[in-house]
Amino acid sequence: MLSAITFIPLLGAIIILFLPSDNAIKRFAIIWSIIPLILATIAWVIFPTWPDFTLMGSYCPPDIWVASANTYLGECAPWIPVLGIQYHLGVDGISMPLVWLTTLLTTLGLFYSARVINERVKEFFALFLILEMGMLGVFVSLDLFLFYIFWEIGLVPMYFLIGIWGHDTDRPQYAAIKFFLYTLAGSVFMLLAIIALYLFSTPHTFDITLLTANRDNMPWAKDALISTLAFLGFFLAFAIKMPLFPFHTWLPDAHTAAPTAGSVILAGILLKLGGYGFIRILLPMFPGTFQSLALWIGVLAVISIVYGAFVAMSQNDFKRLVAYSSVNHMGFVILGFAAAAALTNEQVTSPELSNYFNNGAAAINGAVLAMFSHGVITGGLFFLVGMLYERTHTRELAQFGGFMAKVPIYGALLLLTAFASLGLPGLAGFVGEFLVLQGSYTTLTALTFVAVIGIVLTAAYFLWKVIQKVLLGQADEKWAKLPDLKGYEILTLVPLAVLMVLIGIYPSWILDTINQATIVVLKAVGAT
Amino acid sequence: MIQNFTLFIPVFPLLAFAIIVLLTRRNNRLSAWIAIVGIIMALVLSLGVFLESLAEGPELAQHPFYAAPIVWYPYGLATMNFGWFVDPIGSVMLFMVPTVCLMIFIYSVAYMRHSHVDEQGHHIQEDDPRYSHFFAYISLFTAMMLLLVISSSLLQFFIAWEVMGFCSYALIGFWSFRGLKEHHIDEAQVGRARGASIKAFLVTRVGDILLLTGMILLLLVTGTLDFTQMFNPDGLNNVLLADSPLPGMTWLTLIALLIFGGTVGKSAQFPLHIWLPDAMEGPTPVSALIHAATMVSAGIFLIIRMFPLFVVDSQTGGNAMMWVAIIGAFTAIFAATIGLAQNDIKRVLAYSTISQLGYMLAALGIGAFVAGSFHLIMHAFFKALLFLAAGAVIHSVGTNDMLKMGGLWRKMPITFITFMIGAFALMGIFPFAGFWSKDEILLEALRAGFYGEASPQTQTIRFVYICLAIAAFLTALYTGRQIFLTFFGKPRDEHAYEHAHESPITMWAPLAVLATFTTFLGLWNAPFIGAFTHYIGEGGLMGLPQAFEHTAFDQLAWISMFLSLGIAIGGLIVAYLIYGFRPVAAGQPDPFARLGIIYKVLVNKYWLDELYGYKINLDGTVQRGLLIRFAGALSRGSYWLDRKVIDGLVNLAGWFGRILARLWGWFDARIIDGIVNATASVTGEIAGWWRTMQTGDVQNYALIAAAGAMAFAIIFLLRSFT
Amino acid sequence: MINDIPLVYYLSLSAALFCVGLFGALARRNAIAVLMGIELMLNAVNINFVAFWRYGSVNPILNQAGIVFALFVITVAAAEAAVGLALVISIYRSRDTVNVEEIDLLKW
Repeated sequence: MLSAITFIPLLGAIIILFLPSDNAIKRFAIIWSIIPLILATIAWVIFPTWPDFTLMGSYCPPDIWVASANTYLGECAPWIPVLGIQYHLGVDGISMPLVWLTTLLTTLGLFYSARVINERVKEFFALFLILEMGMLGVFVSLDLFLFYIFWEIGLVPMYFLIGIWGHDTDRPQYAAIKFFLYTLAGSVFMLLAIIALYLFSTPHTFDITLLTANRDNMPWAKDALISTLAFLGFFLAFAIKMPLFPFHTWLPDAHTAAPTAGSVILAGILLKLGGYGFIRILLPMFPGTFQSLALWIGVLAVISIVYGAFVAMSQNDFKRLVAYSSVNHMGFVILGFAAAAALTNEQVTSPELSNYFNNGAAAINGAVLAMFSHGVITGGLFFLVGMLYERTHTRELAQFGGFMAKVPIYGALLLLTAFASLGLPGLAGFVGEFLVLQGSYTTLTALTFVAVIGIVLTAAYFLWKVIQKVLLGQADEKWAKLPDLKGYEILTLVPLAVLMVLIGIYPSWILDTINQATIVVLKAVGAT
Repeated sequence: MIQNFTLFIPVFPLLAFAIIVLLTRRNNRLSAWIAIVGIIMALVLSLGVFLESLAEGPELAQHPFYAAPIVWYPYGLATMNFGWFVDPIGSVMLFMVPTVCLMIFIYSVAYMRHSHVDEQGHHIQEDDPRYSHFFAYISLFTAMMLLLVISSSLLQFFIAWEVMGFCSYALIGFWSFRGLKEHHIDEAQVGRARGASIKAFLVTRVGDILLLTGMILLLLVTGTLDFTQMFNPDGLNNVLLADSPLPGMTWLTLIALLIFGGTVGKSAQFPLHIWLPDAMEGPTPVSALIHAATMVSAGIFLIIRMFPLFVVDSQTGGNAMMWVAIIGAFTAIFAATIGLAQNDIKRVLAYSTISQLGYMLAALGIGAFVAGSFHLIMHAFFKALLFLAAGAVIHSVGTNDMLKMGGLWRKMPITFITFMIGAFALMGIFPFAGFWSKDEILLEALRAGFYGEASPQTQTIRFVYICLAIAAFLTALYTGRQIFLTFFGKPRDEHAYEHAHESPITMWAPLAVLATFTTFLGLWNAPFIGAFTHYIGEGGLMGLPQAFEHTAFDQLAWISMFLSLGIAIGGLIVAYLIYGFRPVAAGQPDPFARLGIIYKVLVNKYWLDELYGYKINLDGTVQRGLLIRFAGALSRGSYWLDRKVIDGLVNLAGWFGRILARLWGWFDARIIDGIVNATASVTGEIAGWWRTMQTGDVQNYALIAAAGAMAFAIIFLLRSFT
Repeated sequence: MINDIPLVYYLSLSAALFCVGLFGALARRNAIAVLMGIELMLNAVNINFVAFWRYGSVNPILNQAGIVFALFVITVAAAEAAVGLALVISIYRSRDTVNVEEIDLLKW
């Protein structure tokens, strides 16, 4: 099932290469992308009831079998036996929502792009599907080599998407190459770390589940230097991707230059690859190192939160403001992970301190949920920005105003999304933020006092810059004939709006899934 | 039995909200009806729960109606649950909130119809363009307030609190959302509404994050946010008393102060009071609903719910409660002073609200739980009444400015009478509601401050009493001023006076109902009846099982009663002397202005907005205070840092990479390739020299061959000889 | 009797003839003169061979390598003279000269 979800987009991309007309390509791509979405939905629905482990494939060594016992829909096959590389896929409660989100956002992005992209259509849709495959692959792969391959696959289509279909006024080539090289630089260090792990493990393996389960017996874990360096290698790659201050400067340029669907995917999913790396690789494999660095990482996270909010407040370009708001939100995610990592071993394992365990779990739950919500909310925001751009051909906030009267449906959806983004309870953003704060007040108390300033600032810049400048006030004459949202645009935004409200009102349905995995991760962290 | 359905109470208005937003947006009448039906059903269910609670009596405090069946989220091995929690004070709130809200809803049906004169001079009455949106928002708001009252968990409470903040934002800025097609407002008003709504949201957000912090710390220390569990003795007495990271403060004090921070924001206490007066830019029913009856009361209700925390804190030497009392008392007198200098009829009421909220907090701060909560309930009724009556005046006269009114008692008798009733209640005149509640508070303060046992808090309580007493005088003074300026004397603006008319029945009927409540509800806790005290005070609170002390009505109580009555009447007399005796004529400045510099300070509200808030000018523009400007500068500075320095480093890396690349390229082309080329050219040179040997002349070749042969021969011969 | 004229006389004669021939081969401009010089050299070599056969070998009657070699040389000289003259004629026909200094097509 997971192989199907991952590779069906690739198959779609290949088929697109043979399709004759633009219309056929567009229709085919949209319909084809619904298939992974349906599969992912089925996978999620049957998720808790699936038996603990499913073998699909001919060969999985027994230790991998045992080690993956907490992943579902597992698939295992030897790939390059000489190097010990397996084709090992699997999802758990943390990757399942992200996989589903990927398929959803891709479908929505393709659906929207079908109306907006009209040149070099074939390349666009093919690249988009290949990108989807790359992202899905990262979330499901349980072998580090495979992980790395999919990680890199995700870079190239994005580069082209930004460079070719980006808006000309935003230096798309500069943004694209900056994005590509910066992220590549980080992932090169990750490659070094992966190789180091391989070389210093007995037996030599790339498998994530094995490395995590047998962590305490592995030479790389016992050697402080190796594990620190490997940690830093991974950390650099993920920090650049997330992005974490001060590695964030590629984000505003990439976002402003990218076409709408590209931005949605970039903000919605690609940033989450970094966070996913934190929880899948950094926390379970390097708990000791992470714990000793947790304070510093927390500091960087808090700086991201506050600084990102401050910078967002002074933006005059709508898209750039949303890009900086991403930095702000991702800061919360990293704060959650750092908070969970800062738990000492005793706090995780001792039953009297179960409060700490629960709050640490809350931090991880919150961070993962924050990733999911951010994908939904900021994806929605970028769609909204793009729709506005299509009508006005500018993104300057100073030129907007009075849109609540002119385009009321757009205004209502922007209002909803903006309030969700600033973390109003009852909407998606709040739950993740609250859980993260719950966790980080436990372990990183002083830092969190600073982080909450970011919440006030976020409210300020959203209310002032986004809602007031765009929706309220008086409309300039040149916007007299602004058309309201058309059917396809509403259809793109409605699923996201429904998700925002649903998660905000009753988050159990998603947190149950995430929590299962979180408990396992935390227990793995504690076990020594 | 009915209590099992408590959680349905907020569902009805919430459904009304959803239906209006999604389905009946375009039909104004239908939307209003749906909203009213929603609140009526909530009211019916609430009254049912209230009556059931009354039947339980005071024991309800220790055995409340409670269940927390909804798992909101799991975290680790624990879960955060939501449900309902009804104790005596909660049930009284359940009585008050839907009743007042229903009155406001009915009132709004007519209020949101505006009249204007069109080009032909006809008077046109038409609904507000966003009529149905208004009812949607107030339905959502009411649903959230009801949810807040019945919350079983502090997190649930907080969520309702925040969504109410959103509704407040949307409703204060109600007229700024659509644009300028309205005839009854001008551009300045729209601008002011816009600024006011953001100001309200942001200032309360500051309070909210303090509350959020306190809430999470409480969760950390006690492991739960459920009201039935968080006050367990073990947690209260042991864990919370550990020292917090801040020096000299236990966790308990810290958490209590942070939670109080939330109240300071939401209930507009100093220094976060700056949003409430500007919030008057919203329609009057909004002011009545949010800023009299419900939202600001939520802040007080928070302290009520968390009261055990404060009590244990003060018993163990913390000073959280003292701060509550000090800030409450200070705000009471502070706001009253500013209220004296306001000319906008609603702003006087706004400052009056801030002041009365300070009263309640001061009461709670000195431990007078019953008195404080009683005043909360009473205040909701009479303040809503006052706002609605003021709104009736505004609606008919067309202006908020009291200096343009005058002599309206003839034209709007019902409004006048109901306003007077509300005003008397506010001033604390027998037998209206405010008298009983305010008197209680003053009595408690007097008793504890001057006649009680000496304790570290005595000084504070004396300070509180003095502040509250002076504030009572000032309250009577500015309320009297308001009455005399608005209803008595000669009309100052002929045009406005002509316009004035009594409101339609949908507007004066709620006024009458509220006036009735105001008149008779106070008797509920009249000293010889004391039903409220018995109901609320006997059972104590969850986590505080001992009953609240109640001293019988003794001599001191009589003295205090006459004293407070005297203060109130005294203030009224002074107001009469200044404003009633010789009414202010048209064009004449406010007599109060003769106080010169004092008046100037008050009119400018102590210039606090210019310091840390932002001032909304009359024409709708906004003047940012110093703190905001600082934040703006910080923001621009951060962007500069990001663009030039951090990104500059990245670009520097890129530039550096390019330079390095060029250098390497030069190196490769010139030097490494140069070696290769040099090799070739040297070879060529040498070959150039060598080829000259080919002369083409055979004899040369032969000569060389011969010479060579001879050389060989000679060498050979020589060798063979040696 | 036979040893009355010392070997050296013969050898010096041969050497002298050889040098004369060498001079002629290297210094004469006319191609035919060069060929004549080459003939002289060959004949000088012949004299050398015969002289060493008569005076150097142990048993001149049995060990006749010297005079046989001289016969070979004469034969080769004759053939070579014929070929050389043919070449000269060919060059004369194409270049219209027999001056060796003018035949320098292999010059660099």
